[in-house]
Amino acid sequence: MPTLLQKLFSKKSVGNGSARDCSRGAEQCWASAEFDLAQIRLIVYQDCERRGRQVLFDSKAIHKLDASEPTADENKTPPNRSGACHIGGQANEKDKPPTYQYTRPASDVNMLGEMMFGSVSMSYKGSTLKIHHIRSPPQLMVSKVFSTRFGSSTSGSTNTLQDSFESMSQTFHTSSIAHSNPVDMPSRGHSEDGDSGIARSASLSSLLATPLPSPGSSFSSGCASSYQRRWLRSQATSLQHGPMPRWSTEEMFNLSDESCSSNPAMIRRKKIAISIIISLPEREEENHNFQEFFFSHFPLFESHMNKLKTAIERAMILCRRIAESSQRVQVYLCRVMEALGEFRMTVWNLYMAPRISEPVWLSMISHSTERNLLCHRFLKEMSFLMEHGAKSQFLSALLTAVLTHHLAWVPTVMPSSLPPITPACQKPASQTVDLLAKSHPYNPLWAQLGDLYGALGSPVRVCRTVVVGRRRELVQRVLYVLSYFIRCSDLQEHVQPQEQMNDPANTCTSQTTDPTSGSETINEKTDPLKPSLSVIGTSEKALNSGLGDAIPGTFVEQNDETLLPDTKSTNPSPSMESTTVRPECTEMGQECFGEDSDSVGGLEHILANQSPLLHRVQFHIGSPREADNDGQASGLTGAGCGRGLDRKLHQRILSDIRRNESSDSALYDSDDEETSPQELYVATEQKECELPLPNYQVESRASVNHFGHSLLGGYCPQYMPDFALHGISSDLRLKQCLMADLEHTVLHPALDEPVAEALCIVADTDRLSVQVVTSQRRVCEGGRMGRDVMVSNLIHTLITSVLQLYALNIATDFCVMHLEDRLQEVYFKSRSLAEYLRGQTRVHVKELGLALGIESSDIPLIAAVASTHSPYVAQILL
Amino acid sequence: MNALVALCHFCELHGPRTLFCTEAVHPPSPSPGSAIPGDRDREGDREGEGLTMRANSSATQRADMCEGCRSLPASHPGFVSVDSETGIRYLSHQHPRQPQLFSVVRQACVRSLSCEVCPGREGPIFFGDEQHGFVFSHTFFIKDSLARGFQRWYSIVVVAMDRIYLINSWPFLLRHLRLTIQSLQNTALKVFDSEQCVCPQRAVRMNSAFSPAVFPHQRSGNAARSLTSLTQHQNLWASLHSSFSWLLKACGSRLTEKLLEGAPTEDTLVLIERQTEQEEEMSGWDGAEGGGSNSQASQSESVQAKDFQFDDGRQEDLIGPKFKSLRHLRQVLGTTDFRQLTWHVLMGNQVIWRGADPGLIQSAFNVLKALLPVGCVRAVPYSPHYEEAYRCNFLGLSPDVPIPAHVSSSEFSVLVDVLNVERGCVNPVSDEDILSLYQFNISSANAQPTDKGPTLLNKIEVALSNENLSVEVVSLCLLCLKEEWMNKVKVLFKFSKVDGRGKEDTQKVLTLLGATGPGEEDNVRLLKFWMTGLSKLYKSHLMTAVRGGERTLSQ
Repeated sequence: MPTLLQKLFSKKSVGNGSARDCSRGAEQCWASAEFDLAQIRLIVYQDCERRGRQVLFDSKAIHKLDASEPTADENKTPPNRSGACHIGGQANEKDKPPTYQYTRPASDVNMLGEMMFGSVSMSYKGSTLKIHHIRSPPQLMVSKVFSTRFGSSTSGSTNTLQDSFESMSQTFHTSSIAHSNPVDMPSRGHSEDGDSGIARSASLSSLLATPLPSPGSSFSSGCASSYQRRWLRSQATSLQHGPMPRWSTEEMFNLSDESCSSNPAMIRRKKIAISIIISLPEREEENHNFQEFFFSHFPLFESHMNKLKTAIERAMILCRRIAESSQRVQVYLCRVMEALGEFRMTVWNLYMAPRISEPVWLSMISHSTERNLLCHRFLKEMSFLMEHGAKSQFLSALLTAVLTHHLAWVPTVMPSSLPPITPACQKPASQTVDLLAKSHPYNPLWAQLGDLYGALGSPVRVCRTVVVGRRRELVQRVLYVLSYFIRCSDLQEHVQPQEQMNDPANTCTSQTTDPTSGSETINEKTDPLKPSLSVIGTSEKALNSGLGDAIPGTFVEQNDETLLPDTKSTNPSPSMESTTVRPECTEMGQECFGEDSDSVGGLEHILANQSPLLHRVQFHIGSPREADNDGQASGLTGAGCGRGLDRKLHQRILSDIRRNESSDSALYDSDDEETSPQELYVATEQKECELPLPNYQVESRASVNHFGHSLLGGYCPQYMPDFALHGISSDLRLKQCLMADLEHTVLHPALDEPVAEALCIVADTDRLSVQVVTSQRRVCEGGRMGRDVMVSNLIHTLITSVLQLYALNIATDFCVMHLEDRLQEVYFKSRSLAEYLRGQTRVHVKELGLALGIESSDIPLIAAVASTHSPYVAQILL
Repeated sequence: MNALVALCHFCELHGPRTLFCTEAVHPPSPSPGSAIPGDRDREGDREGEGLTMRANSSATQRADMCEGCRSLPASHPGFVSVDSETGIRYLSHQHPRQPQLFSVVRQACVRSLSCEVCPGREGPIFFGDEQHGFVFSHTFFIKDSLARGFQRWYSIVVVAMDRIYLINSWPFLLRHLRLTIQSLQNTALKVFDSEQCVCPQRAVRMNSAFSPAVFPHQRSGNAARSLTSLTQHQNLWASLHSSFSWLLKACGSRLTEKLLEGAPTEDTLVLIERQTEQEEEMSGWDGAEGGGSNSQASQSESVQAKDFQFDDGRQEDLIGPKFKSLRHLRQVLGTTDFRQLTWHVLMGNQVIWRGADPGLIQSAFNVLKALLPVGCVRAVPYSPHYEEAYRCNFLGLSPDVPIPAHVSSSEFSVLVDVLNVERGCVNPVSDEDILSLYQFNISSANAQPTDKGPTLLNKIEVALSNENLSVEVVSLCLLCLKEEWMNKVKVLFKFSKVDGRGKEDTQKVLTLLGATGPGEEDNVRLLKFWMTGLSKLYKSHLMTAVRGGERTLSQ
């Protein structure tokens, strides 16, 4: 009789179980199409008060002069899909650097310059970020505009570089446009900004931290640390607090040799813009896919742009020292081209590198029906690895390191205090976090990124894991097993059903509301090519308008009567149901979203098929609502001052507004309402007209473009600086780049919050060694990158007993449950350690072992776990 | 989403202006584990409203604001929509109500319409900085037969502080704003066409004398037409409010996280089960009235509140000396007696306390109960007659109750007699001197040594004897140990009860669980006793669901 396992396999028509082993075909490419490196263009632009705008670099205008490839752009031939992307300059580093010729910039640079700097220049001294979409040819342009900072030593600047360009041949005066005067954008605090920034953000975090109950106060709050992280994020990015100077506001383009000393007086009105222009794929679907990827992964792109910017700064500083003009230009071009090559390669790899197709943890969350199958395969691989590296305790060391630094597993074992909805073996989805997301939206992608990098502890550390080894299949096994322990939340996407946006058959519902009955709905299909006429409201005379139904998703209810069936996924009652994911819903969503919703239909089409959701509309303008709504309406007019936090912030912001107003009015006629802050504060009781919130009809599908899928890499042709996990065959490039990458991560974290330390776990399956490399310590002895990991006895016994159970042929599902139980024990131990350390100044390691069962080898792990719920632990143990 | 949406217009006479703005006002932040926002909606909202202000104050009636710069008439109170699920309110006015957002929106408006350059002048741009916030802007033209170039320039801006979130949302915002914009344009185009039919402006303008200086003012009566007039849509602003509110909500909930927590502990599950049983009994008495709908919520709350002391909330009411902690009990009884007593507790033997002070006895039970999983505790705090061991493992008796012979001779029970040292001392002076008040006699027919195991007890004693460790640390240690052994219990249950494995295999499991070695016999007894404390849910789950995952031996 076939077991369930066999049935599952045959259902999948794979034949036998081993075919699903990770050694074969378990990796997938992210991108659906090739991505050409030459699609990425770099422009560096300068905007000077006196000299106007000049192009300082345009990769399109640069040609490599090389004997072997005389004319070809080095990037014309993209690397093949499976192969690594090697940049010419990078590969033959020993060779003479290539010579470049700088020709006249392309004709579009004037326009691009306008877009980068704007038609009116800003007086704001921080960096500005811009993204433009250029329709034809389809391109995305990301620009960062910086104020420049010059050193006191040289009078030189980019001017010398510019002079050099000019003397070579052409002139690059691109701005013939008459510049209007700079808009004096109100800037908070002007010159004192630089030094007060830190103090401000520190006070912010303390302000924000105080109203929170200590997460260590009780066992009952299951997801305390996840919750708190997300809550703080929603507060830190809240509009209600207005603009808050954050941790890195003053980012300048640094042209001084001494990085620290800069006289504010020396900051001239000169701006430098760095723009990356990405040509979008021709095909609509590829275009769509790339854009979805680009926008969801923007923090990574930005981080690499920052790296590029640093390289450009260095190139400019370096070439200033070179006296001879043509040589100066060559050095500059060489350096910048090299940095651009790096950038292109990183982006290419980010998009194209293979990923783990079935990360164990995420697959278990999303496909609960395949749980047994996943458990089986996971334990099989883990037990293979345990045997393989038995002598060196390779797996134990690796899991010790991973569990110590990728801390997102901790909230997933913190016991829930709520009665289980799901079967006992399945962990409940956090309801508090779900509720938070609804009432105080934060960015789930951000939360996920933090999870994957393990940024849950205090102080914030981020970690990546790289598995090195020549045996592809072995590395893949390791990656597969680790994809169970490196955890993050799963993301669901809720979008308007496609057919409702542009399916002709389903749209153009006109509404006619009979004023006398007020409840008749007449649905009629109109000619899709003719804009629909709809009568909105009862009191209005025939309104000629398609506006109401053109508003996506708008559905205004009347008489509290729901005309549309609720989608299950958006059950409006705050019931537990809304937190559980229904597979059938997801499937339905996937079916519906088989096609990309942007791909069909021009303007006519879209317009003709306006949203069908609006069935009947009645607006209550200036008229009181029915009794049941009156209560709510009056509830919102209270003029209480809110919490102390709000008040403080408001006071500070109020003074900012005053300053802003004065400078603002100098340039534009300010609106009357804006003139007096005192006036603004006349908090008068006022009652808005209440309108029902449009019915929010969406369908859910598993999100594709999220970090849980994209940052768990497979066996990659080359080292990747972004991936939370990936494998490579050789650590050559890793050794070259890792330290710089870790330092860069601390300076420009993709996580968009300050990071105290960046770490990388390097597991070598050939040498069976596991090391941790940190941004804080320089190279260790013997050419090693990091220090070896001490195996935690707790972890070793944990794995051993789980695998022994597996060997005793206990149901794999139970083995995995036991593994989770044992991880929960580690969490409980961290609670006792935290309690032990409360108010303690000295730690008696022996006492920890005797009384708490925490051996010295376990202390780093348990302290790290404890720091996720009790931040003071790190202070005591460090 | 933590953002606001605004419609802006470049007025030919007055430059960039904010016309209409929808902002989300969030309820004050919930704290972890607090009730659902809906419950405290009212009060919370009032608080969160905080410093609202009135933008449409009387001063807005100044002359240099024309029809084109205005959305709602000054007398209009604005719009609001409430999301009852979350308590978020979406407010629309011409200008934001929250003062700190005023200049933010103004900045966004000015930059979107007069600073930033969009190729073709219509389309999306993202721009911003840390000081002024971040903006997704989409500029577009609206047809106006009377305007210069027959069109007017508008933009819709989405402003947020969370740069990354806003950029992540680009495709979504673009998709939906386009629909809104296109419908506005479309509506205006129809108006434009009909106006042109009535009075072709091109001809009018060609025929009139060209005079640039007075040109805009010539038509000043119509120069700044409102968007309402351009679309001939009387409910335009209400529609936009609905559209913008929907956008903010949909964008904020576009992505949701599925974040898992650990499974509840066995203690939690047992407490819930007991409570459900109690409620069922109660509702049975009440006549099947059954308030089933609220039971789950109230359950979880009371579970949290009562924690491990599920049935003795009245302890505080009892006066007299009490045992405060295991360490206290150990000090009072002395290490040998304490060891013997706790050994019996952990083995599942019946623990009988006999004495005149029920408060003291109950406090002893409360302290001792912490040694066991909740599911293993069956207590009769104070009884006038003996109760059999299958009914209770903790039994309190008044001094004169006789112990049946089969019990006093049994090795599976232990008796603690609490004797008053000084008779007649009615008001005990303090809690500290239990020793001076009472004498404790411990007796049991058990002949086994109690000093070897179980391992759990040995470890607890280490923690208890270390005075460096606070009571809180000790209780967390105890929790760790209990959870550790509960996990072993689960494995043993699965192995022996569910799978029915033989003795040899069971021995292997005991070894891998670390239950063998010194004190093995006691460990095994403890495991077997604790098995009775597993929750029904867990047991039934193992009995049924897990079967599916069984492997055949060949695999």
